[in-house]
Amino acid sequence: MNEGPFLKIAGLIAFIGVSLITVPIIYIFIKLSSHNIVVTIKDQTVWHSIFTSIWSALWATFIGCIIGVPFAYLLSRAQFKGKAIVESVVNLPVAIPHVAVGIALLSLFNQRTIVGRFFSFFHITFTDTIYGIVLAMLFVSVSFIISSSLVGFNNIEPELEMVSRSLGASANYTFWHITFPLALPAIIRGAVLAFARSISEVGALLILAYYPKTAPILMYERFEEYGLNAARPVTALVILFSVIIFFTLLHFTKRYVKG
Amino acid sequence: MLKARLKKSYKTFQINIFLHIAPLSYNLLLGPSGAGKSLTLKMLSGFERPDEGYVHFQGQDISHLAPEKRPLVYLPQNLAIFPHLSVEENLVYSFKAQRCPVDKRYFSQIVDEFQLRPFLKRRPSELSGGEKQRLALARALMAQPKLLLLDEPLSALDFHLKMKLIRFLKQTKERFSLTIIHVTHDPIEAISLAECLFILEGGQIKFKGSLAELSKASLLGFASEVSKQLIGIKEWLSKYL
Repeated sequence: MNEGPFLKIAGLIAFIGVSLITVPIIYIFIKLSSHNIVVTIKDQTVWHSIFTSIWSALWATFIGCIIGVPFAYLLSRAQFKGKAIVESVVNLPVAIPHVAVGIALLSLFNQRTIVGRFFSFFHITFTDTIYGIVLAMLFVSVSFIISSSLVGFNNIEPELEMVSRSLGASANYTFWHITFPLALPAIIRGAVLAFARSISEVGALLILAYYPKTAPILMYERFEEYGLNAARPVTALVILFSVIIFFTLLHFTKRYVKG
Repeated sequence: MLKARLKKSYKTFQINIFLHIAPLSYNLLLGPSGAGKSLTLKMLSGFERPDEGYVHFQGQDISHLAPEKRPLVYLPQNLAIFPHLSVEENLVYSFKAQRCPVDKRYFSQIVDEFQLRPFLKRRPSELSGGEKQRLALARALMAQPKLLLLDEPLSALDFHLKMKLIRFLKQTKERFSLTIIHVTHDPIEAISLAECLFILEGGQIKFKGSLAELSKASLLGFASEVSKQLIGIKEWLSKYL
């Protein structure tokens, strides 16, 4: 079939799109001096912020899966009044500006509120602590896990579960041996996106948990205090780490999906 | 013997039927789309709860049993072969699900009977349509059911494969002493398999009996059309059976 000029135009637009993503990232690395790289690699603050980011994002993703997967299963299988509203609420964090998320979380979880005092009882506070970072990351990322898991559960043919039951499997056995394995690729995809979203969070953290500094907060601080040249090496290192982690996770996800 | 009275109402549809199925018989439930055929199987297997009624099987009331506790296996139109499990894992699923050791003799008998030995390590996606049908049937028999509920199991097959599997289903019923209820809208399947025919229309049974009885009965509507069709193609089909 002759596609005419449409494929060429689409190709050109795709090239512009890819360039828009890759060129600024590559440019960061081109502008680096070897001296700056060495100084950044020796900087303990940078490594500490990267570690804080990764560790917090892993916890946020883990807790997000614990909450999000059963929630998605309920949305997929149960019929109840107000289900459409609940489904919309799930996607709210994507629509709310993240600084607003930080303000909302700080309003609810500061130590002068009942909720804040409740957690203080267990020696958990959210202002400028790792708990606050995990909480903010969880808030902005859990939608990805719920939405993706929901697609995964919805795509399973109900007959598979019916046949499993008919062959003598309990509802519980059917969930763990049929439903969950079939939805797992979608759950993993959601978790990878949630991790990526968590690790890049700044807005909510600026308000709720500036300390301990995550990598994006450190980049922001270096830029604010010392300018572009000071922020660039840290940014390059963080981008490198993020890309390595993201593609490693994607690689394993794809391998799993292919079986 | 199966006795069931099933009544269920929806906004625009109501089903109200009485089934009396003889043991070790092959029963065809024939009807147009939306007649309530699949719903009947789902109510018998416990996936849909009737508003009123009962299901008695071999003198026991199984109405309140969960689907996994009923002495039957339900096989839907799409066969529902577990795509993430190998052929062998699909076959032993009922043993694992009931936490029983695999009965190796019975497993081997079924695998040989259904000619599945060369495919045991394969994924279902690597099987042809006919092989998938055999796998689905073999997997159902692994659960050693007394009653097999088949929901349009041959609908997606071409004529020659369909005739081959019809012969296979007949043999299977005899070899494993099964009572079968087979839902279809295909007259060829009805003529080839039915020892007892139920014609379902608008949620009600319009005819119950053998093919010979059908040709003598005076019927109206869909049942009358089916009757004419069946008589017309019966002779033509006899060379394939």
